[in-house]
Parts: sequence; C-alpha cells; structure tokens
Amino acid sequence: MKKWLILLLPLMLFAKEEVVIKVARMHCPLCTTVVKKALKSVEGVESSKVTLETKLAVVIAKDGIDDKAFLEAVKTTGYEGVVVSRHRLKEQANFY
Amino acid sequence: MQRRAFMKGCIALGASSVILPQVSILEASEPKGKTRIFYVINRYNLKHENKNGLTKLWVPLPQETSYQKVSDFKFSSNATNAYVTDKNSYKARTLYAEWKNGGEKLLEVTYTITTNERNADLSKATASTKYPKDVAHYLKPTAHIPTSGKVKELALKITENSKTPLDKAKAIYAWVTENMYRDDAVIGCGVGDAGKAIEQNIMGGKCTDISSVFVALLRSVGVPAREIFGIRLGSSRYSKACGSSDEKGLAKITGGEHCRAEFYLDGAGWVPCDPADVAKVILTEKMTLNDPLVKGVREYFFGNWEMNWMGYNTARDFVLSPTPAQKPLNMFGYPYGEVKDEVLDYYAPAAFSYSFVSQEKL
Repeated sequence: MKKWLILLLPLMLFAKEEVVIKVARMHCPLCTTVVKKALKSVEGVESSKVTLETKLAVVIAKDGIDDKAFLEAVKTTGYEGVVVSRHRLKEQANFY
Repeated sequence: MQRRAFMKGCIALGASSVILPQVSILEASEPKGKTRIFYVINRYNLKHENKNGLTKLWVPLPQETSYQKVSDFKFSSNATNAYVTDKNSYKARTLYAEWKNGGEKLLEVTYTITTNERNADLSKATASTKYPKDVAHYLKPTAHIPTSGKVKELALKITENSKTPLDKAKAIYAWVTENMYRDDAVIGCGVGDAGKAIEQNIMGGKCTDISSVFVALLRSVGVPAREIFGIRLGSSRYSKACGSSDEKGLAKITGGEHCRAEFYLDGAGWVPCDPADVAKVILTEKMTLNDPLVKGVREYFFGNWEMNWMGYNTARDFVLSPTPAQKPLNMFGYPYGEVKDEVLDYYAPAAFSYSFVSQEKL
C-alpha cells in the first residue's frame, strides 16, 4: 500500500495547471466574457479569468490538456490565441 | 426575498452643464428647428448566475446640448449606492449604481427630453483649419479610429480633388454612402473598428461601423470628426428605418441604439451627419442610391439631423468612472454592467435585463 502511495504522490501533487493564453485582438469588454465562456467549455477547465487590459486569459485546468484544445476553443469566438506559458500548480493532496 | 430600501435621486442634469459645459458656443449659431418632446423610461432588473457577486452598472445619460435639453431627471433603485457622474475623459454623463448583496437588482430612470431638429448652415463655413483645443481633440486617433496607414491612404485618395475641409467632408460622405452597406447580421450597432474595416475591406456593418469609418477618414485628412452614441426616440418623417412609434407616439426603444456622426467646420461649427441611416433606408426600403427617397435622405443627412433621437456621448476607447474591472470600453451607447470581473451582455436586453420606452408628447 505504501509503495502505491509513493508512486502516486507526484501525480497528486501536480494535478492542476495554470495556462496563460494571449488573445491579442480582443477589443471590447464583452469579448472577455465570450472568450471566458469558450475556455470554460473545454473539458477539464476549472476556471478562467480574462482581462481586456492585458489581453490575457488565465486558465486553471487539470494537468495535461493539449494546447490545441484551448486554442480551438478561443478560435470559436473568432479570435486567435497563443499559449504564452503553462505551469503546474502544487496542490495539497489529502491523504487523511 | 431580501427587501431593500429604495433610494431615489432627482437631479437637474442641465444645471451641471454650467460647471462642466458639454456644449460649446460652436453650436450656438445653429438655427432652432422643429421641437419635439419625449418622456423616456429606462428599467433595469439585472440578472446573472452569480447572484451574490458585487454588481456594478453604468447607464449612459443624454448629453445637454443646444439641440437637446433634459428635464425632470429622476431615478429610483434598491442599489447600495447610486449617483450621477461625468468623471471620464469624454465627460460622458453616467448614472452609476452598485449592489453589494444578492437579491433583486432594480433601477428605474426617467426624464423628459426636448429636441430641436438640426440644420447646419454650411454657407458660414470657412477653409480655416485652425481649430479650438476641444475640437482638435477629435483629430486624434483611438484604438478603433486609426488615422494612419491604409485609412489615411484611402482618405487621401478619396479627397485628392478636394481643397477645403467642406469639400473633403462631402467627398468622404459620398464615398461612405456609396461604398458601405448595412449588414443586419452584425450584432448591436457593430464594433466600429474602422481600421479593420478598411484594411480588410469589410464594407458591411451597422451604424457604429459605418460612422467609425466616416470619422476615421475625416480625421485622417485633418477634419475633426466624432461619433455620437445615442438612441432613437420616435417616428421619422422619412422611413420607419430611421425610427417609429405607434399612433399615440409610444415607442418601444429597447434595441433602438443608434450611432450618428458629426464633423467640424470653422464658421459653421459641428455639422450633423448620418451616413449609417442612408444605408439603413436602402436596406429597409429595398431601394438603391438612385431612388428619390434615398436621394433625399442622403442629401438631408449631410448637415441635418431629424431629432427623433437623442445623443448620449462622443466617447470611444475610454475608461468609465468608477473604473470597471474590464477596460477600456469601446463605446458607451449601451448600459454597461459587471458582476465581479464578468461583463453582462449589453447586446442582450432580455438576459441583462433592461427595457426602454419613449412617449412623445403629440
């Protein structure tokens, strides 16, 4: 049992990712709502925050979703997106 | 249901223009045209899935000018806080309301607006291009109104045989009304991205799209120009495309937002135009530029405004006050609302929700 827990530990620690996507041509506040909805429709996305001033969408999603899935979702809004960064979020695993 | 006390406001909007004049003397020489009086009611019942989030609403209010006067302005609301402000770079009059708690979010705004038809006297125009500072502001580009690159290239081509600012404005108006058309598939009044429209040759659009191209072309060749965002109030003598009401003068004006344009000539002041309504009449009446009605409308809307409409502001690509989570705002012809950082869809009145009616005094 202990062996399994040790093997699973890295996965449990890095279960989520923060993906930052640049949507350069967003031009009005309403665009942020449309892009946000599109990104939230991607399976595995927990939340998304889109800011017009920076033209950035910050997505919290389960680890390992392909860039393509995010970018295709953005594309449905009529905009092109570019993934500018993604990093794993440490999450406290609940063992007890 | 949580009940809240209603707050009420009653402000003489006109009085504030003494402190912050929105109308310059530049319009004062315009003769008074036909007067019309409208009683306007705006009702809001904000809806959002996040019912407990901090909710903020910015409502555009009519500007005070020589051709439209506001009276009996009142509002009532269960908002936590609500007040009128014009603290933004365009002095766009705004009723701001916020709700800190859950429950219903209600607001009703009422006022009377008296309008006078605008008829510019173009015979007073001079060829001078020395403009007052507040007018020269409308030569500057914005994010959606570029004045260089392909926009300027096109403007120079259109005006290659024009000598005076009036000649340039006539040439650009003729070009826009000949080459642009109304596309009813566009949402709301359109984005008004003049740079994109010209660069990508997108000639179909709605009033903001068409007016923004008109304005960008004019500014590119040194003629001050601006859009005015507003809403239709009642019937038009030209076409139902330009405004309608029932036989008692009642008009349901939700979705009646309409963007017009002005350009400035030394001696004549701000000259009213409406190239977008020429396109709308063509589409609605199934006509061409050669039909007598369209010819008349096209001629009329260069220098004249039928005042079955009221203007809110000339603001573009600016930041509202208090500062919203999302900025800048492309244009302020619709109410703007946010729940936390999420924007309410102002193009969807039923979902937002808001409704407007106008009753003309006949």
